[in-house]
Amino acid sequence: MKKRKPIGWDGKTLKEMIQESEQLFKDTRRYYGIDKLELKTKDPFRYERAYARLRGASESAWETALHVAASPIVKEIGELCFALYTPEGDSAVVSTGIMVHVHTMSEAIKFIIRENYEEEVGINPGDIFLNNDCLCGNVHTSDVQTLIPIFWEDELVGWVGGVTHQVDIGGVVPGHDLTCTVERFDDGVHYTCLKIGSNDEIWKDHMLNARRSVRTPMFWELDEKCRLSGCLMIRDATLDFIKNEGVEYYKKFIRETIEDGRRAFIARIKQLLVPGRYRASSFMGNTSEPIQLKPQATTAALSNMPLELVVKGDGSLSLSFDGSSAAKRFSFNCGIGAMEGGQWVLLTQCIIHRDKVNDGAYLAVDKDYPPGTWCNPIDPYLSYNNPWGLLIPAYTSMMRCLSYGFFSRGFREEVVPGYALTADAPQGGGFFEKGPLAGQYWPLSTFEISGQGYAASAVTDGFNSGYAMWNPEGNLGDVETWEVIQGGIPYLSRQLKPNIAGHGKYRGGSNFETVAMIHNSRNVTFFNAAEGLTFAGCGGMHGGYPQATSYILRAEKTNMAEVVKNKQPYPLGDPDPAHGEFERFIKGKITRIPEGMMIPIGLKNYDLVHWRESGAPGYGDPLEREVDLVKKDLKDAIFTKDIVYNVYGVVAAYAETKREWLVDYEQTKKRREQLRKEREDNSMTFEEFYQREKKRIVDGNLLEPVKRSYNESIQLSKRWGKEFLEFWNLPEDFRFKLEEE
Amino acid sequence: MKEGGRILKSVAIDTGGTMTDAVIMDTEGEFTVGKAVTTPRDESQGILNAIRSACGYWDLDSEEAIKDIGISIYSGTIMVNRLLQREGNENIGVITTAGFEDLHQLGRGMQCWAGLPYAGRLHAREHKHPEPLVPREKIRGVRERVNFIGEELIPLYEDDVREAVEELLDLGVNVICVCLLSSYRDPTHERRVREIAEDIIKEKGKDVRVVISYDVAPIRGETPRLNTMIVEQYAAEPSREQLRRVQQSFREKGAKAPFRVLTCYGSTVSPEHERLVTTLMSGPIGGAVGGAYLANKLGIANVIGVDGGGTTLDVSLISERYVPTRWESIVGGFLLNIPMIGLRSMAAGTGAYLRYNKITKRLEYGPDSAGYLVGVCNEKANVQTVTATDCALILGYLNPDYFLGGDIPLNKDRAFKAVKEQLADPVGKDTYKTAKGMLDLIQLDEASFLTGIVEGMGYRPENYVLLCYGGGGPLQVAGFTKGMNFQDILVPSWAAAFSAFGCACGDYAYRYEKSLDLILPPDGSFDAIVAMSSTAGYMELKGRICKEFERDGMNPEEVEFRPSTRLQYMGMLDDLEVDSPSDTLEAKDMKEITSRYDKRFEEIFKRGTKSPELGYAITKLIGVGVMPVVKPEIPSFDLCGEKPDEGAAKGKRDIYWEGKWHEASLWEWDLLKPGNRVKGPAVIESPVTTLLLPPNSETYLDQYRLFHLKIK
Repeated sequence: MKKRKPIGWDGKTLKEMIQESEQLFKDTRRYYGIDKLELKTKDPFRYERAYARLRGASESAWETALHVAASPIVKEIGELCFALYTPEGDSAVVSTGIMVHVHTMSEAIKFIIRENYEEEVGINPGDIFLNNDCLCGNVHTSDVQTLIPIFWEDELVGWVGGVTHQVDIGGVVPGHDLTCTVERFDDGVHYTCLKIGSNDEIWKDHMLNARRSVRTPMFWELDEKCRLSGCLMIRDATLDFIKNEGVEYYKKFIRETIEDGRRAFIARIKQLLVPGRYRASSFMGNTSEPIQLKPQATTAALSNMPLELVVKGDGSLSLSFDGSSAAKRFSFNCGIGAMEGGQWVLLTQCIIHRDKVNDGAYLAVDKDYPPGTWCNPIDPYLSYNNPWGLLIPAYTSMMRCLSYGFFSRGFREEVVPGYALTADAPQGGGFFEKGPLAGQYWPLSTFEISGQGYAASAVTDGFNSGYAMWNPEGNLGDVETWEVIQGGIPYLSRQLKPNIAGHGKYRGGSNFETVAMIHNSRNVTFFNAAEGLTFAGCGGMHGGYPQATSYILRAEKTNMAEVVKNKQPYPLGDPDPAHGEFERFIKGKITRIPEGMMIPIGLKNYDLVHWRESGAPGYGDPLEREVDLVKKDLKDAIFTKDIVYNVYGVVAAYAETKREWLVDYEQTKKRREQLRKEREDNSMTFEEFYQREKKRIVDGNLLEPVKRSYNESIQLSKRWGKEFLEFWNLPEDFRFKLEEE
Repeated sequence: MKEGGRILKSVAIDTGGTMTDAVIMDTEGEFTVGKAVTTPRDESQGILNAIRSACGYWDLDSEEAIKDIGISIYSGTIMVNRLLQREGNENIGVITTAGFEDLHQLGRGMQCWAGLPYAGRLHAREHKHPEPLVPREKIRGVRERVNFIGEELIPLYEDDVREAVEELLDLGVNVICVCLLSSYRDPTHERRVREIAEDIIKEKGKDVRVVISYDVAPIRGETPRLNTMIVEQYAAEPSREQLRRVQQSFREKGAKAPFRVLTCYGSTVSPEHERLVTTLMSGPIGGAVGGAYLANKLGIANVIGVDGGGTTLDVSLISERYVPTRWESIVGGFLLNIPMIGLRSMAAGTGAYLRYNKITKRLEYGPDSAGYLVGVCNEKANVQTVTATDCALILGYLNPDYFLGGDIPLNKDRAFKAVKEQLADPVGKDTYKTAKGMLDLIQLDEASFLTGIVEGMGYRPENYVLLCYGGGGPLQVAGFTKGMNFQDILVPSWAAAFSAFGCACGDYAYRYEKSLDLILPPDGSFDAIVAMSSTAGYMELKGRICKEFERDGMNPEEVEFRPSTRLQYMGMLDDLEVDSPSDTLEAKDMKEITSRYDKRFEEIFKRGTKSPELGYAITKLIGVGVMPVVKPEIPSFDLCGEKPDEGAAKGKRDIYWEGKWHEASLWEWDLLKPGNRVKGPAVIESPVTTLLLPPNSETYLDQYRLFHLKIK
């Protein structure tokens, strides 16, 4: 192999630079061992100007790229993000957008360096790299990253990365967050940090291949152009910056700004939290549908995702998922890049939003993702198509832990007692049957998932449909816009679904439900990803409830054509599942099951499907909620009369003549007293509770997936197993007996 | 000052939250500006006071002068304030497609964060939806559905309509807004709902209006379409009465001139305009219109207009003479589909608060601002936190005795003490250095903001002329343009009243638009059908425009109809507007339209990736009907010598710039003459604005009374 001249700084290779950076960090716990923030101290104004200039460049790249070349899914909800990285791949400055990916691209750059691309592949000015492999930094194949190097003379002085989310990635079935994948080969097309262009141009052979690898080639092409043009803009702005400020200032600046970011993070932790050990649990189930696309698929598994957050006296954090369940043959395995991304995006939303948003925060957190578990499976041949399914619930624990800290320090308004899984995520696609569009493919992929409810705080209610944990700038496209893209499945409704907001003194945000009908189509595939039998993330705090879980509701072979022709009522939603509109208004094969994850099925014209987006957790005891706020909830269709009576103890009736809700305050007082009394009557001592639960464990009186999940945790973590067994006072060799081993 | 009688050609009024500006212009194109306190209960009071004040500068008797005025144009904030302060019509009823009754309450996610600064956008805890303007009980659904290509999926359930109308009437609504899904493609159901509703209203003998969304704006996007309808009824319609009152007060003073209102898209219309909601945000539009007009008169293709105020910096961009119009904007938290001149605002006014962040040891500014309270230096206002104006004052840029002509005395010592204690001491730096550093920081962000806008279009500052105006613009312009090579930097001598000037520059025109959503595949196979649909669409738009002019008492025959089309490359979601060759199109014309689009796309998005191989999507048709009117001339004056008159000199004052004190010459703004040249360091002062010339800069006042700035 021909030896090339190193492209790193001062005659080093990039690999040597990473090693040096890591060693210095290990030795000093400071980024690149930086002791004094010299630039910031010497001339704070120049320093802040430098940061503002680079951030301005990434912001305007983000905006331009959105305008000039982006598919609807990217454009309508800003599913795009850019960042500037050091030569070692540490992010210094980032744009807004789907920020979860800032650190994921960091891992991809490090992969390129560690795999010695510098010598074996070549990294030249004008080269373009493409990545969507989850084992080198990505979240799932649907997120596609473009990476380009920035050269100043002969040295590589940085990288720019841009990422967009694709509506389809050529997986085993249409969609972007699949539920039926089992191994890597089901996840769609993979690009493992592949060089796809030179001299700022994408190679034609790549474009030909890419267009044939996905179901939506036009969107692929638009988004690839969009990422590249944004990256080029940031690269040019960075080179301008170097021309103005000098390369030495630039080099010093991008390192110092990361160390500054790390220190700002620590300062914020000291300001906002209380040192100590915080723990929380969350669980998530996958589908228990027995029939799968692939026979080896794992079904009916419960994933245990315990989290321990330690706030140290010096303001640094450590985070551990020790005790987690094993990786499995399902869609929800999660690579480290995704874990880092999820964690980082949440920290930007509640700790460092006012500071230098970069990898400094990442460096201030020690993490433990135990090998072999769902959050570090190691095995590249598993499926990583839908890591969100576990990652999102898992990190609600982090938000709850942080919130206990915020609360303790008096920042009650900062409390976020969990958040929603970004679901339902209905997906699929079909072909138009007749008319001018006959034969054309339509994908179903509403990004309504970016508009979930937001949780209550310790002083206010949450808000409805406007937040996603992976992108705080959540949006919800108009139905009329989505229908232009997915015209074969028109909406019959988008209305508030009552009783899905988490209850509490302050309630969580609510959300909507939709009934959609297949129309003028053939070969329609449909599925959904959501939580069903478990609460995603066990949200809620200080007596607040989690949001409601989802379920499957659909009607096949319906008489909709006839119902509509006769102008009879048809279902617009499912406000009262006990007296369902599906069952009351139409005939056909109605499926109603309490599962969330759905395996793809085929649908025909006039079939109806139902989905809903999620509410969010509440805060505090619902019996303490102001009665007039509950009255407003009734008026706004957030809750129904029976729920308000059962949960909030509010006695209300709708006065038909006055057309308003009337509350009986006297009866409400009594009802609340009665509910408190019932609670007291149902309570038991801890000792009684412990004995009751222990008996269940010893007798194996638990669901099969629960037993399996605990066995996995005991098996995979000595520490967790020991604690579990000691707590329940069980013998060292205790394991749950399973029906099938 | 001229001898003898002047005849007033126009008066342009800009009523802000606190002050009302009136620009009066004579037949020779000279202006003067009057100011008075806004009188929100009856705006006409404040307006007449402002006109009186303006006339005072020219020694005119306003009672007499007003009778001869050629035209009066209004822009202002009454409507938007009605929306922001929730003082509008509370009795609106809505009928929508069954299953979509919560549309208004759900809104769009972006409504809860758009408009926040970067940090606020990330910090989800700050996000908040606006409270709905119509409560849920006054929103009723009717079963029906039309799909995205206009096919009826579900017929209209007419019994549902009857029930909904009766219930709304029982609730006492005074207007019913009908907005059905996909009605932009086919309004048949909406029209039928209106028919049924009007019958019932008649039967019951009630006085309730029914409006349908197709008539308000047949544009795709049900959230902004319904929001716009509701805002129109909530804020615009109730303001109509107020506008009529202003008009009436002019009439009572003997004015015969037409009274018109500036729209968000920059034209002027009668207060009787059917779509009065299009005048919702006229305040900041004036400057952009004036900028476009000036650029056109002077033959400049690319202009970036920067309006510096107390709370925001508003930027408009004209590229290749194209004034971009935006379709969606958020006002008062609601996403609306009012066509609006593309303005971008940054929370960085001269009144921005400055603070030291103890946690991260950083100096920060804004986003909140003291606005008209100015800063700590304004003793009477009792402001506690330092503002950018405090810094400008202690650095010698502002004259403490000449702020608003001396109406607000500024206390320099008080400002110095506050800057020292709140900012300089915590960072351990010199007070003056800190004050300058803070202004630099704001101005650098402003510069990045400008660069972002220019480069966002694929251009460089070298391609643009920067036009700076507003009360706070000239003070900052040297700072935020530093290091950027604009072709030229212009400050009109009437900078402080430029927005009101801009009002007089708008066309007398009505604009209507509708969604088309038709595809033009690259092979031309759809050209004929698209041409046919477009022609039918233009006919519809033309009809509506003619009706407006007829109501205004104009002859529709004299209307110049300008058809245009919005289109985009297939698959993209951002469209651009191009002129259509005619309003009766044939298949062959489509080629011309797409090639105009290709050209415009390349002009606007230099770095964009043209994708004609994907085909095109025609999104909207636009019709603008223009009635010719006289507009202001930009008068040209004889040039005097480079040396200003001695009388213009006001002495010397030290100013701080780049770490040093410099002795700056002081000049009285109004006494400088065309042809004069002033070298920095210098400060040119007027009662309403201040132009700062740092060392190594100079300005030249040209024959049009525009200052040209050169900064080395």
